[in-house]
Amino acid sequence: MSSRTPDAAASAPGGLRRFWRRTGTRVLALQALALVLAFGVAGALASVSIRQISERAYRADVLGELASMDDEWRHKGVGHLPFTVAKRSRLWHGFEYGLTGPGGGYLAGDPSLAALARAGWTRPMAGRRLVLAYTEPLPGGGWFTVGRDLTAEQDQMRDLTALLALCGAVGVAICLATAYLTTRWTWRRLDELSSSAALVTAGRLDVRAPVKNPAAPDEIDEVSLAFNAMLDRVSRLVGELRRVTMDVAHDMRRPLTRLRQKLERLGREAQSMPKVAAQVQRLDAEFLEILRTFDALLQLAEIEGSARPEDLVNLTDVTERVTEALRPDIEEGGRTLEAVMEPAIVRGDSDLVAQAVVNLLENAARHTPAGTQIVVRVEANSGAPSLQVRDNGPGIPDTLKNLALAPWGRLEASRSASGSGLGLAIVASIAERHGAQLELCDAEPGLDARLLFPDATADGA
Amino acid sequence: MLLLPPDHAAAHPARPRAHPRLGRFALRVLIIEDDVEAAWHMADDLEGFGVEAVVIHDGAQALAPGLGDGSFDVLIIDRMLPGCDGLSLLGQLRERGVETPALFLTAMGAVADRVAGLQGGGDDYVVKPIDAEELGARVQALARRRGRTSDTTALSCADLELDRLQRRVRRGGQTISLLPLEYRLLEFLLLSRGQPVTRKMLLEQVWGFRFDPRTNIVETHISRLRAKLSEGGGAPLIHTIRGAGYVIQDA
Repeated sequence: MSSRTPDAAASAPGGLRRFWRRTGTRVLALQALALVLAFGVAGALASVSIRQISERAYRADVLGELASMDDEWRHKGVGHLPFTVAKRSRLWHGFEYGLTGPGGGYLAGDPSLAALARAGWTRPMAGRRLVLAYTEPLPGGGWFTVGRDLTAEQDQMRDLTALLALCGAVGVAICLATAYLTTRWTWRRLDELSSSAALVTAGRLDVRAPVKNPAAPDEIDEVSLAFNAMLDRVSRLVGELRRVTMDVAHDMRRPLTRLRQKLERLGREAQSMPKVAAQVQRLDAEFLEILRTFDALLQLAEIEGSARPEDLVNLTDVTERVTEALRPDIEEGGRTLEAVMEPAIVRGDSDLVAQAVVNLLENAARHTPAGTQIVVRVEANSGAPSLQVRDNGPGIPDTLKNLALAPWGRLEASRSASGSGLGLAIVASIAERHGAQLELCDAEPGLDARLLFPDATADGA
Repeated sequence: MLLLPPDHAAAHPARPRAHPRLGRFALRVLIIEDDVEAAWHMADDLEGFGVEAVVIHDGAQALAPGLGDGSFDVLIIDRMLPGCDGLSLLGQLRERGVETPALFLTAMGAVADRVAGLQGGGDDYVVKPIDAEELGARVQALARRRGRTSDTTALSCADLELDRLQRRVRRGGQTISLLPLEYRLLEFLLLSRGQPVTRKMLLEQVWGFRFDPRTNIVETHISRLRAKLSEGGGAPLIHTIRGAGYVIQDA
């Protein structure tokens, strides 16, 4: 299992979800949202106050122009006003005008301003320009309107908004980048920790999480140290358990072997008494069974305690050798054995692979009635080979499959058949040592046991 | 130099005598094993075959002059010795020109151990605990291996002949056709003619199995081989040694 960097994690679709689940990502997203909101509120407040200030200034402008026009008509008479409006419109300096006669008819200026005919402030359109307008009634009827062009103000506000948005975007980007750079360091170390944990789960009890600074541990070092201490304890316990198992099996083996030898001698001496001889023979068979169980236990402990084997093994050769070795016995038991082989190479130990094939075949032969067809198949599967041993016997019910793989998990239905019950457990243990997967499928009817090996050409990190 | 416990001679006054199943082989064996009890058990087992066993518990002692100079037929060396690894001990002995066949003992049969042991000058490698018969048969096979070259082209036993060049087997002039596995089984038996070979030795040498399958592979093949060899009516040549193994010999 390779350690995954956050970047690699983010690139895969599943990784993206994993990326989003991280606390750091969520905090970052929240920070970015807060930053955008803050910029938005600040921008809105600024634009409102700028608008208020400029509105006041524009109103003063409009009132000033109006006062100057008032002077004009008071001095020269209302009748002269259309000429003044025409002249000032011609010499345009930011103001628009509208003038109607006593009957409401258009006299001069912008027609839409002239059509307002209502006293007070308005923001109408004069042609294509937005204006701030003030309208007042003229003595003797008619309306006079002065409007200030607001186009410049609008442009300014647009520029300001754009600037604010740009600043906001840059701010968010900087905020995200710095936060990511600091969090990535943490993530990378957490990834190291979780890949160590994954290796331990895969059976490597010797793996420990890296600690950057044991003298002055930071919070992640503290987690790693606690994790490592836990692993030390677990591996010590597992080691003790293994040692006790080994010791018991080991110590019991010698006295049992001697007992068996004595029993054999007794059997020879009792040849004149057929009944006793038969009893002794049965006892002897039971002893052999016990010895084999201890052997299997020792072997199981040995496989589980050994390092992962790394030789290249010709799976086809090994399977063929085992199949041919077991063929006479299987066929004498009234079963048929068929082998379908493709060339395949796996990484591991040839003895252990052979042992796995033997156990699978013996399992198929021992727990099926005479007449069963057994098929051994090796498939190359373009680099990730598989070994399949399939029979058409009674099979194993789904609910009991896990039990069959566990030590001592011999199935109730086959309990009458002799066997240490460790056969499939040993296969499972060998599979684990080889990074392979042991699957027990229903062959409908029968058992279809498969060993799925990893690609032998890939480096076995 | 015979380092026996004081009460040993009293406990076994009748030794050495012939082993009931394997006979006597009159050999001298040096056991280098730090586990005192296991060492004496082994010595005891071997003396049952008439083998004279000298026991030392310390690797350094083995390097003392006079011990490794060829006065022994076989060395039995534990892989794990205090202060000295069995492997490097044998390496030093081999450097001094000691050619005595060596059998490594180990508590665990880890593959790496085994390969290292065989590459490091060991001639056989067994995982403890080892049965008396197994040990006896292996010691005898190792001792006999010295005098015999395995590149002999013609093997025989009574009127049975095996031609290793043509891979042909004849008995009383009659050709017997054997399957490849049966041929290899017979070849191995004939190479150890007159000596017992155990099930485990056959599994290792003929089948290449370092473990004992529950299926009676050896028994089945031996019985087929026996049947083929006796097709012409000749006397049985392959004999079963109960609880120990097989031997091929002229009646």
